[in-house]
Amino acid sequence: MKVRMKSFAILRQFLPRETEVEIGDGSTVRDLLELLVKQAPPLAGELFNEKRELKDFVNILRNGRNIHFISGLDTPLSEGDLVALFPPAGGG
Amino acid sequence: MLSLVERERYLRQISLLGETGQERLRDAAVLIAGAGGLGSVCAQMCACAGFGKIRIVDKDVVERHNLNRQVLYAARDHGLFKVDVAARRLRENNPLISVEPVRKTITRESIGGLVKGIDVIIDGMDNYDARYLLDDAAFGEDLPFIHGAVNGFYGQVSSIIPGKTPCLHCIVPHPPPSGNVPILGVTVGTIGSIQVAEAIKLVTGLGKTMAGRMLLWDGLMGEAEVLPVARDPSCTRCNGKGVFP
Repeated sequence: MKVRMKSFAILRQFLPRETEVEIGDGSTVRDLLELLVKQAPPLAGELFNEKRELKDFVNILRNGRNIHFISGLDTPLSEGDLVALFPPAGGG
Repeated sequence: MLSLVERERYLRQISLLGETGQERLRDAAVLIAGAGGLGSVCAQMCACAGFGKIRIVDKDVVERHNLNRQVLYAARDHGLFKVDVAARRLRENNPLISVEPVRKTITRESIGGLVKGIDVIIDGMDNYDARYLLDDAAFGEDLPFIHGAVNGFYGQVSSIIPGKTPCLHCIVPHPPPSGNVPILGVTVGTIGSIQVAEAIKLVTGLGKTMAGRMLLWDGLMGEAEVLPVARDPSCTRCNGKGVFP
């Protein structure tokens, strides 16, 4: 299946602004991130801690909904889903 | 009614806002929470636009490393309280408005007094602990809260409206690591100006605000994106109050 992915801010150093990703049926957000990291290994340091868990401040939206409020990295993906990755800014 | 002096001063924007819009700005009180990079720009833009009352809160003094981005301060202000310098500059800029400097830290104890009599809260903070306190106060007092944050060339803006939009806890459930981040004057200039544009629209009723949406600005790549923001279904702060999904 195909899902669309958008990335912002620091993640733009490793990922295009918007791209279509071919991924196996039944994949989760974790599978998508692993695929992206395989293509751009330095991305891992921006997304994951040393236990390979998602850094909790990285916001990932599936069709506008934060995966923190769905099933985290186990959030399932479907054909045509839009996944947006952005680490929020904190300074003022 | 606007005075002759007000009509002259705001001539080039009354054609946009109307006399009623300008009167609404004059009758509005805005809290600028923080007098750093974003706060400097927001306060300056609010003063120029003619918000009738500006309360600006910060506990810090001006340091040399502030001067790359905190446009209210000059080299001679080193060591002075930011809010005192800010008040002087804003009054010089626009003597028609009232400016109230408050030398305080935003805490659970101080926040109630800081939002008293205020119509709009503008986020000029550099940490999420204080931002979440402002968000709580906004929902407690039913006040719009215009969130802004920056990091390097990047920035974000969202207008948080109790009863209509998700709260900040839903939009940013886990804050980024605290600490000093790199910041450019041009980034706070961009993001702070957009925050005040939001305040002007909220007060005058013009246009469409960033309610329920977040603007992400990437000055490095010259790109902007607007994302919808959604509530945490289990949020105890805004649950049941939001009309957005």
